[in-house]
Amino acid sequence: MGVAVLLKQVPDTTAKISISGGRVDEASITKWSISPYDEYALENAIKLKESGFGDVVAITCGPSRSAKCLTEAAAVGADRLIHIISESPLDSIQVQSLLSAAVKESGCEVVMCGKQAADTNSGSTGPGLAASLGFSCVGGATEVSMDGGVASATRLGPSGMEEVEVGVPCVFTFDKGDSELRRPNVRGIMMAKKKPIDIFAPDDLGVDVSNSMVSIKSHSSPPEKQPGQKFVGSDSIPQVVSKLREEANVI
Amino acid sequence: MAYEALDFFDIDSLLTEEERMVRDMVRDWVEERVLPNIEDACRDGVFPDEWRAEIGEMGILGAPLEGYGCPGLSYIAYGLICQELERGDSGVRSFASVQGSLAMYPIWDFGSEEQKEKYLPGMAKGDLVGCFGLTEPDYGSNPGDMITRAEDKGDHFLLNGAKMWITNGTIADLAVVWAKLDGEIRGFIVEKDDEGFSAPEMKGKHSLKASVTSELVFQDCKIPKDRILPDVKGLRGPFSCLNNARYGISWGAVGAAQSCFNSAREYALSRIQFGHPIASFQLVQNKLSWMLREITKGQLLAYHIGKKKDDGSWIPEQISLAKMNNVDMALEIARMSRDIHGANGILDEYPVMRHMANLESVKTYEGTHDIHNLILGRHITGIQSFTREP
Amino acid sequence: MNITVISESSNGSLHPVTAQLVGAASSLGGSITVICPGGIGSSDAAHISGVTKVISVEGDCFENYDCSAWSESLSPLAEGDLLLSSSSTIGRELISSIAASKGIPVVQDVTSLTGGLLATRSIYSGKAIEEVSISPPCAISLRANSFESAGEGGRGEVSTVNVSQDVAVAVKQALAKASERLDVSEADIVISGGRGMGEPANFSHLNEVADLLGAAVGASRAAVDTWEEIPHSMQVGQTGKTVTPNLYIAVGISGAIQHLAGMRSSKFILAINKDPEAPIFGVADYGVVSTWEEALPVLKEQLAEMLSN
Repeated sequence: MGVAVLLKQVPDTTAKISISGGRVDEASITKWSISPYDEYALENAIKLKESGFGDVVAITCGPSRSAKCLTEAAAVGADRLIHIISESPLDSIQVQSLLSAAVKESGCEVVMCGKQAADTNSGSTGPGLAASLGFSCVGGATEVSMDGGVASATRLGPSGMEEVEVGVPCVFTFDKGDSELRRPNVRGIMMAKKKPIDIFAPDDLGVDVSNSMVSIKSHSSPPEKQPGQKFVGSDSIPQVVSKLREEANVI
Repeated sequence: MAYEALDFFDIDSLLTEEERMVRDMVRDWVEERVLPNIEDACRDGVFPDEWRAEIGEMGILGAPLEGYGCPGLSYIAYGLICQELERGDSGVRSFASVQGSLAMYPIWDFGSEEQKEKYLPGMAKGDLVGCFGLTEPDYGSNPGDMITRAEDKGDHFLLNGAKMWITNGTIADLAVVWAKLDGEIRGFIVEKDDEGFSAPEMKGKHSLKASVTSELVFQDCKIPKDRILPDVKGLRGPFSCLNNARYGISWGAVGAAQSCFNSAREYALSRIQFGHPIASFQLVQNKLSWMLREITKGQLLAYHIGKKKDDGSWIPEQISLAKMNNVDMALEIARMSRDIHGANGILDEYPVMRHMANLESVKTYEGTHDIHNLILGRHITGIQSFTREP
Repeated sequence: MNITVISESSNGSLHPVTAQLVGAASSLGGSITVICPGGIGSSDAAHISGVTKVISVEGDCFENYDCSAWSESLSPLAEGDLLLSSSSTIGRELISSIAASKGIPVVQDVTSLTGGLLATRSIYSGKAIEEVSISPPCAISLRANSFESAGEGGRGEVSTVNVSQDVAVAVKQALAKASERLDVSEADIVISGGRGMGEPANFSHLNEVADLLGAAVGASRAAVDTWEEIPHSMQVGQTGKTVTPNLYIAVGISGAIQHLAGMRSSKFILAINKDPEAPIFGVADYGVVSTWEEALPVLKEQLAEMLSN
């Protein structure tokens, strides 16, 4: 038994992103945080632990600064901390292979993560990991509870919110729900300080990350916003609406 | 708008991971729970009980005390807690200062083992609220001449007198009261249900409105003999407490100043006059620059005195300097920030005038600005100039 | 290059994004196969210009969406060097699942794609743009309305494959749609009303636009303070919530500095106000000088038309 929670460290969503030399300037990022949807996964995992399901294993894959995510997870109740060290960006196959190996190492049959990370906004990891582990996958969950080997989840389906049931092993990707995220307290922070982190290099997990079919060519700032356009009269609205789609691509 | 706490000389790099996590925990709590509700609390003149409970749950009360369920954090961490609470509101920080430094601390340092076991664990959780009774209607800067007295009646003490300006008094479960027993100042623990004790609330404040301020009235108040603090006599007792609280306030003032600076900066960048943001005008930049310098200096003072508290090498005059300097600069920054906000600065849309009003109290309590000035004067010259005595 | 497109459906027919996926594929050159989960829209897919083959995949497991079952069914049939899907929720889940089973990398929500392959997408919630090069075999999901639609006139060959995958996730019950609206700080689109709405009952017009767009409804402080019916939870501004939606529509809001503080970081701002001097026009990307009474019905009609196509 036990729940594996995948946490990704990302620039805080309020942090300014600046570009230098054609790349996002990571050194200028003032605050790094656990990706927001991952926090909902962590909260649900701790709730499962409190209902007796087993230990929470927090796993992160990233450079050394990512360890902070694990300490923060420990401060709210994570039991075991795994850090897969990778100093350079990884493609989806590499990330999933590493996480997959770590999940196997942990022995957990329930995996929880955010539905998408706040840096790439991709959402590939959850379903991809499920496919490579041969686990079922429930996406967009807001609440998951376990009864024996069966999980009940509330999730946003194609036609609205629904309650589903699925057996283990399973990956759940989380959306923001109504649960309040618990705060750490001083006791949790002090105990988290003492918790050891199991560190793995890709080689330790038997994963070769030396080659990738994906490489970043450049980062750039979004195009400057065009100056505002002003129109008079409600007759202009059809034109504005089509600009909202064609120019702004917001509908 | 995301909060950016001014940290121009990178104090953050001097903190341990634990200190940063504690600071961030309090910062997030203030962001989520205090800031959305503080203006209502001020308008209504209440300190919401939920905040007491949540502060207790965070485990930050009595921050630097060890044992008996207390957090055992560094003084730097205690300072950071005060900074973040006061960025929210001085009244919220006052609750924690009084609880930790003025009520828990004297029991911890001067109390009997039974007293420590009885009160400290509940106080650390916020389940028991404490207050500190030193100041009287006619004895503020001159506590030594207080007239609240205790008489030994054999099987109990009888207290008579009154205390005033007592934070938490009306909501407190216990009060650490300083009174003269045979002419000598001693500490007594008075519980709220003790016969002859009442704690009416003082209304009509223009400052610290989200904080409970009370009188403590003792009319033949009977307390059991085991309520006296055995290990301290004279003003040393209350002054040790005040030193701790003053230390926290030196950090708290930085938090209030950071909040006012942040608001002024954002406002100046958004407010357009004569076709330009006012942040582009030289006089506004001069003010913002002065604020940045003062906050930076204040942070360094607070940090260094925190290190000295942690290694034990401090003297009270250093704390006087830090408290006095930081509160003074914070009040000036609040005023200047209100000025930059123009008319908008008088609305409770912005925190600045609330901080400004609060800081008037903070400048007066825990030793007035002038008193700390004279403490330093005495230290420099060896000559006291508090009184006219020869 | 052999390109496989996973088609997208909605309400039982082919979703227009499918033609955009084919259009994107066509500009890369090569043969294009469209896979239709559940067989939905397979004949329409065959008529998209540039489509060589359509595989209609049928089976009980397609009655409801199930990530593992659909992925296991479709994966063996998706044989192209390049796999394309839309970046809708289902599109992303499916393509990442299939990509993982095939051991190929996936890049999501791409807004431009050229031979090489060079893909562009936005990252950090739009704060930066990333250009990546990817070597096939690989999978890419494309953002809707970023690529030219392929026209009609295709004559793809349709074949049917029957599958019988087990569904892992059982839907127990649909939950009643929450009567509460989306919170302003969560939504991608926010439409807010100010005191210019005249009376709180007129917010119903904003609700109608919001329903069309799946948007949240907000309000200025003036509206919240004046009308009890407009709760504080809707307030956007200095003492309300700060929102950063993709689109913020301000109706009858003058744009006082306190309101701007709460919404000026929105990606795009549309303002409707009868006063041409209203400060809100200073921050609006698109400003319409008009009364809301005249503007909102036209807005509603235009949006309804655009979204139903």
